[in-house]
Amino acid sequence: MIIALPTKTSGEKSFISEHFARANFFYVYDTEKEVGKVYINKNKDGQGGVGIKSSEFMLNNDVSVLITPRVGEKALRVLKEGDVKIYQCNDKIVKENIASYLNGELKGLF
Amino acid sequence: MNIAVLSGKGGTGKTLLSVNLSYLADNSVYVDCDVEEPNGLLYYKIDDLKEEPVFTKIPVINHDLCDGCRICTDFCKFNALAYIKGKVKVYTDLCHSCGGCKLVCPQNAITEVDNSLGLVKSGIYEGTYVFSGELKVGEQTGVPIIDKLLDEASKLNKTVFIDAPPGNGCPVMESISDADYCILVAEPSIFGLHNLNMVYNLAKVFKKKIGLVINKFTGDPIIHNFAKENSIEIIGEIPMDFELGKLNSEGEIVSKYPKYKELFSNILKNIYKEVN
Repeated sequence: MIIALPTKTSGEKSFISEHFARANFFYVYDTEKEVGKVYINKNKDGQGGVGIKSSEFMLNNDVSVLITPRVGEKALRVLKEGDVKIYQCNDKIVKENIASYLNGELKGLF
Repeated sequence: MNIAVLSGKGGTGKTLLSVNLSYLADNSVYVDCDVEEPNGLLYYKIDDLKEEPVFTKIPVINHDLCDGCRICTDFCKFNALAYIKGKVKVYTDLCHSCGGCKLVCPQNAITEVDNSLGLVKSGIYEGTYVFSGELKVGEQTGVPIIDKLLDEASKLNKTVFIDAPPGNGCPVMESISDADYCILVAEPSIFGLHNLNMVYNLAKVFKKKIGLVINKFTGDPIIHNFAKENSIEIIGEIPMDFELGKLNSEGEIVSKYPKYKELFSNILKNIYKEVN
């Protein structure tokens, strides 16, 4: 399973970004390999439709779980289409959010 | 000649002014470019309005021809295309109908179809040509309708009074782009001044000739002071007048009444003086 989180800085110790599609980075974690990768969000400063682009990035990276404070309406359309499950993050760092999700402690959005 | 009437916020008096000026002017056209909330036809009551639909082009993907190269999704600056689950999907509400995706597709898998955006309504009221645009509910941009409205109006070779949408966004820019003169309408309040400053800056960017009309004038000098500082000509003051407001809110063209006719014809004279 692949989990993604929008983050403020790079790496597993980062805090979660307040915005999904316009986050600085995406942290993408593979639960089977137990490896996380950091991607710079190239869509960050786009004029519009950024939610669509960032959600497309999730689907192209086979993400099945997104942990985020919230998502916009356009992003939601794409994420739903790709059957990505969305969970609400807590106020802790990436690593602890992933652990909380795996323990079933995060609340599903939508 | 095109004369645009604009203001930073709604409810300042754009429609009041442009309806009355076009009604009094000879050989004139009134164009309601506020396609999101058109209200000019409440004053220009025309029974036999002509209605014409406005279309824009949106892409359609032939999934049999598409090989998933994603050149189109990378090309689209408006992010209206996304590659989802092996298929290119079109988000019509973000599409600006530029046609670029069709041009860049190496597989010729993209064709375009008409998307109905809204209507252009037109008619004649006591000698004044009237055009009004109407954007379909849920559509994101009325710019193509404004484009069509102004196109039709300019064909008539008359003096065109453009009732611009409020604010200073794309629809306003489209409305004033071919204007020879811009009338800014403002209310004498701090809020009114703030909004006036917004459209003033826009008109400056477009290097337009500007005149200022103060509506609901109470004697407060706030707008006069701004005009003086920036050397803007004040071409009219419409007083705070309960009766005028009442007639206007009932959909009456107030310059039909002798009491108010002079007020608007003086503004019109000032405009002609400024433009020529």
